[in-house]
Amino acid sequence: MRQDNLSPVVPTTRREFVRGMGVTFAVGATGIIGACSMEPSGENAPAPAGGRNAEITPNAWVSISADDVITIQFGGTEMGQGTMTSLPLVLAEELDADWDRVQVETVTGHDPVYGNPAFGYYGFPILYTAGSQTLRGYFNAMRQAGAQARRFLLDAAAVEWGVPVVELETEPSRVMHPASGRSMSYGQIAAIAEVPETLAEVDESEYKSADEYRYLGKDVARINVPAKSDGTAKFGIDAQVPGMVYASILRTPVEGEEPLEVNDTAARAVDGVTDIVSLPYGIAVVGDTVEATIWGKNALEVTWSETSRFRNVEQTRDLNEYEARARDLNFSTDNPLWQDVGDIDAAFAAADQIIDAGYRTDPAYHAQMEPMNATASVSEDGKSAEIWVSTQTQSLTVMGAADALDTTIDRITVHPMYIGGSFGRRAEFRQKYVDDALFVSREIGKPVKVIWSREDDVKDGCFRPLAAQYLRAALDAEGHVVALQHRVATPNVLRYMNEPRWKLTRGPRRTSGLSMGGAGTTRYDIPNIRAEHLNMDRCSRVAAWRGVAESYTRFALESFIDEVAHMQGADPLAYRIALTRNDPSGRAVLEEVGRMAEWSRAREGSALGVALSEFGRGSVAAGIAEVSVDERTGAIQVHKYWMVIDAGFIVAPRNTEAQMEGNIIFGLSNALKERITISGGSVDQSNFYDYQVMRMNEVPEIQVKALSNNKPPGGVGELGLATTGAAVANAVFAATGARVRELPLLPDRVLAALRA
Amino acid sequence: MASFIINGESVNVDAHPNTPLLWVVREHLKLTGTKFGCGVGQCGACTVHIDGAATYSCLTPVSTVEGREITTIEGLSGDGSHPLQRSWIAEQVPQCGYCQSGQIMRAADLLANNPQPNREEIIAHMSTNICRCGTYSRIIKAIERAAEEA
Repeated sequence: MRQDNLSPVVPTTRREFVRGMGVTFAVGATGIIGACSMEPSGENAPAPAGGRNAEITPNAWVSISADDVITIQFGGTEMGQGTMTSLPLVLAEELDADWDRVQVETVTGHDPVYGNPAFGYYGFPILYTAGSQTLRGYFNAMRQAGAQARRFLLDAAAVEWGVPVVELETEPSRVMHPASGRSMSYGQIAAIAEVPETLAEVDESEYKSADEYRYLGKDVARINVPAKSDGTAKFGIDAQVPGMVYASILRTPVEGEEPLEVNDTAARAVDGVTDIVSLPYGIAVVGDTVEATIWGKNALEVTWSETSRFRNVEQTRDLNEYEARARDLNFSTDNPLWQDVGDIDAAFAAADQIIDAGYRTDPAYHAQMEPMNATASVSEDGKSAEIWVSTQTQSLTVMGAADALDTTIDRITVHPMYIGGSFGRRAEFRQKYVDDALFVSREIGKPVKVIWSREDDVKDGCFRPLAAQYLRAALDAEGHVVALQHRVATPNVLRYMNEPRWKLTRGPRRTSGLSMGGAGTTRYDIPNIRAEHLNMDRCSRVAAWRGVAESYTRFALESFIDEVAHMQGADPLAYRIALTRNDPSGRAVLEEVGRMAEWSRAREGSALGVALSEFGRGSVAAGIAEVSVDERTGAIQVHKYWMVIDAGFIVAPRNTEAQMEGNIIFGLSNALKERITISGGSVDQSNFYDYQVMRMNEVPEIQVKALSNNKPPGGVGELGLATTGAAVANAVFAATGARVRELPLLPDRVLAALRA
Repeated sequence: MASFIINGESVNVDAHPNTPLLWVVREHLKLTGTKFGCGVGQCGACTVHIDGAATYSCLTPVSTVEGREITTIEGLSGDGSHPLQRSWIAEQVPQCGYCQSGQIMRAADLLANNPQPNREEIIAHMSTNICRCGTYSRIIKAIERAAEEA
């Protein structure tokens, strides 16, 4: 029975695990995977009679017990995207392991051995689950770790039997010698094998070919579905630590303010409230029960400072300002160009015709189902801590906590729990919910669980940033687009999410993909392109949001391409297919989604819109929306949505389809109705009644298809989300002739466009 | 002190009468399968059965369940064998999984009263519960499967 280590109430630490195993000195995902010493393991697991080991650990990623249990380390975190299954599955495939006897352990804490090679900007890889980079980043490391362990087992069996290794083959978790009919399970080999100091790296040519796969590309069940169907899966909010108390925090109504005067008499009078702790950004009410802390928090009377610059934030006025900057071609914030191909100035000067348009997007809230929370236990000296939290990154949580406590990272232990949705929300360097728990625990000397209310989660949300964009295209006399300029006025998201990383990368890469991904195009055959970031002051706290910058840059770009096609009298799909003449992947997804949607078939009372998007290196998606518009109310109804992706080799087909559906629903929900507004620095929304997300009765019929091929696997957790806004806006135009250039596509905006 | 039956066992809980049942279940009784999502009856993550009926535990003061029978996800079958739990696994419904206890408890209430719901009835009944990951189509399939196999 496969298991995971996120089900116990308080998970055991990786450190304890490693201690029990002997010394680990593997190099890990970035390079050669070394071997581990092979001490006979501790008292709990005596070596079997005749054997020398209870368990061996051929490399940092996998251990094999004498009773045939294979334990694989998972360096990511699981938030529903499925990599806690798919990464170990890649290793198990190359190891030729019996998947039914595999257990998976999520790595606790920051250990670069388990870091994602795709995130190396600190000079070492970090454990960071973001940007749809987990499968892509770890794919080769998992293959190497599995193939290397299999090679070791084969060699050991060959020595034991005194036969040439070339005569051996493997069945799941078993080495076979067909010539003599002998076989040994991996566990039997583990019991007797002597692991050398270092294991040689296995040549890539020894990896299985796709037609040999037992698990990859097949529908293998995700390992945590049973625990998520019976209530036993443990999320951050479920942490239970002996001696733990609770805290609720009244936070500043406007970012940057501080409490000046506090009347806590009524709060202290609430039965069960034990302490009131003042924090730089709010007041924590501590108590024996959750409810006491909530009631105590509601009873606080606080006078706040009124000096923050965020009090001047008025969203519409600020967005007007962003848009004016985007449209002013002389305005620059001197950011390095995001994309710079050819010579757009010459092309625009020589243009026969210039087409331009501006697009605006409101902030969006993650609306993950598990509100922010953390449980922490800080040592008496205030310099060590143990933390239980839903986090996208063991490494940054450790580094951020060390920063918060002004200590060193070796004194921080993080237990990553299952994540109740994240979508970019839990990937910051300084995670405020972790700070909350650390600061309160340090103050009162007990373990503390802090739970944000949904209202806290909205009001203190970190949103997809406000953005205004201006696009223009130069056309030659034949109507071909010869130049594209894409100006994006929006804040620098990375700087807010992770200032240390922003400082490390601020040289040539100061404009990050967190603000600019998807701007410009690598798919369309346009000879001169410039995409430019105009770095605006932020109007709110900001974060990556599922699909990240593509969700607004592609809304603008793909709406604009539609406008250009329309002015040429071209069919929007045929126009895009012609533009992808040099990009077989982009062309393939467009053609396939057109076939699925029967693009050319006339519809009665509804119309289709198409959009192309990318996410991660090399992955591309095309989506088509079928919509109708109530021209009296401006309400859009999406009837059907089709999406086709090319994300290379599809490791987990069924999970990929689930992710694609999730992307479509998340994107449509945002495109149709999700809107954060900020007045005087405060978020106007509070909870799911005034920030509504898509429910089951609003979901259109969805059809998806992943074109699997032999390219390396890319991520699928965000791919295609960015098709939704433009596909719907383009369909609205096709249905009504009204062009809505502001996301979300609210009824009053549709009405205004209809009247324009 | 509140006294009620939860998952077949009688319990006495020392909690203020106004305490939402949600926090009594999760933090007093440590049955953490029931989730906190919104606190205002908008998302359904906290759904439990009270005398068999799906109810938002976040909006239910513990004083109102005196002597009544509560069932949480932990007590739905005891061993994960409820037809819905099996169909949830067969259809691989959960992604992050946070809302799924509430979804299953809501669906169990539907099937208890309408063993063969049609698609429209499923959607009408289940639209009280939010899934931000977007597992809706799989929830529908799983309910249909459970109804078929029951």
